[in-house]
Amino acid sequence: METDVTIVSINLNNKILEKYSDYFLVERNFKIEDLLSKDKIIFYNALNGLSLQKIKDILARLKEKNIKYINLTNDMEEVLATNYLIIYDKNKILIEGKTLEVLKEEKVLKRIGLELPFIVELSHLLKDYGLIDELYLDKESLVDELWK
Amino acid sequence: MEIKDLLDKYGIIGIISTYKSSFNQTGLVKDLNINNISKALKIVGLESDILNMNIEDLTIKEKWKLELATKLNNKIIIIGNMSKCLNYKDKEYIKKLLIKLHDNFNKKIVIIDNNIKSFFDIVKRIVVLKNKKVIYESSDFYDDNLYKYTEMPEIIDFIKYVNRDKKILKETTDIYELIKDIFRSNHK
Repeated sequence: METDVTIVSINLNNKILEKYSDYFLVERNFKIEDLLSKDKIIFYNALNGLSLQKIKDILARLKEKNIKYINLTNDMEEVLATNYLIIYDKNKILIEGKTLEVLKEEKVLKRIGLELPFIVELSHLLKDYGLIDELYLDKESLVDELWK
Repeated sequence: MEIKDLLDKYGIIGIISTYKSSFNQTGLVKDLNINNISKALKIVGLESDILNMNIEDLTIKEKWKLELATKLNNKIIIIGNMSKCLNYKDKEYIKKLLIKLHDNFNKKIVIIDNNIKSFFDIVKRIVVLKNKKVIYESSDFYDDNLYKYTEMPEIIDFIKYVNRDKKILKETTDIYELIKDIFRSNHK
């Protein structure tokens, strides 16, 4: 199992949490200090509503301490904070892999009802219009490419 | 302005706040007290084969939609936690449904969520609530003060980021308008 993972579940139910019952469950309104002594953590929609930068900062602190983490969410913006992505439907894995590789599967993701993170969706559309050649995962690189 | 007055004026409002659902029904779905239950389920995007299921066995998404089905006859429909319980496709479906309920059936709609991203594109007014009091309200999604209370939607963040140096993009909440604008700015 990768150490830095986002799981997006199309039909979230509690059974998915049972699969990761050896992980310390974190829900909303947590204090990062309370997590630093754990080995394995699963965030359950706990990072929802935070900016991507704040999420990256939280996960970086866990990484420093070699803590394995899974972010279980239904907000596709959050997938940009980890390097590995697993998409579940109920208890079945539909697609998994390096985040960028999974996000290239635009048609598959949309067919199963998922949106792309905004910057990836924008990249796909700009690519279709011939304005850029590849996908971007952050606004800074995309803007540099568009108006260099 | 009070929430009731805001609803009278704007029809669909979004409230940035925590929402705690009071829907704690148990037993079979078919035993719920909902008028014309099969039709109500269909309206919210549920299949009628859940009628014989226990509410406790439904997924979070199904429970959320079922809660909405119980509110369809209310004059004021209050819903919350869309961002937490629904995926993109469901959110888009529900947003269209809420607009239809407002436009065609004169329902007043209140959407409560900590995350503005789930509703900013359909509400006419955003209200920030703290300790049950309105502490800020705005209809301008490019109003920086609003984002003292919630995270900025990515499209707004992107346009503000570009315009900080170049001021070339129009303020929009529609990705296709943004694409047109980027295309124009690249072909001047």
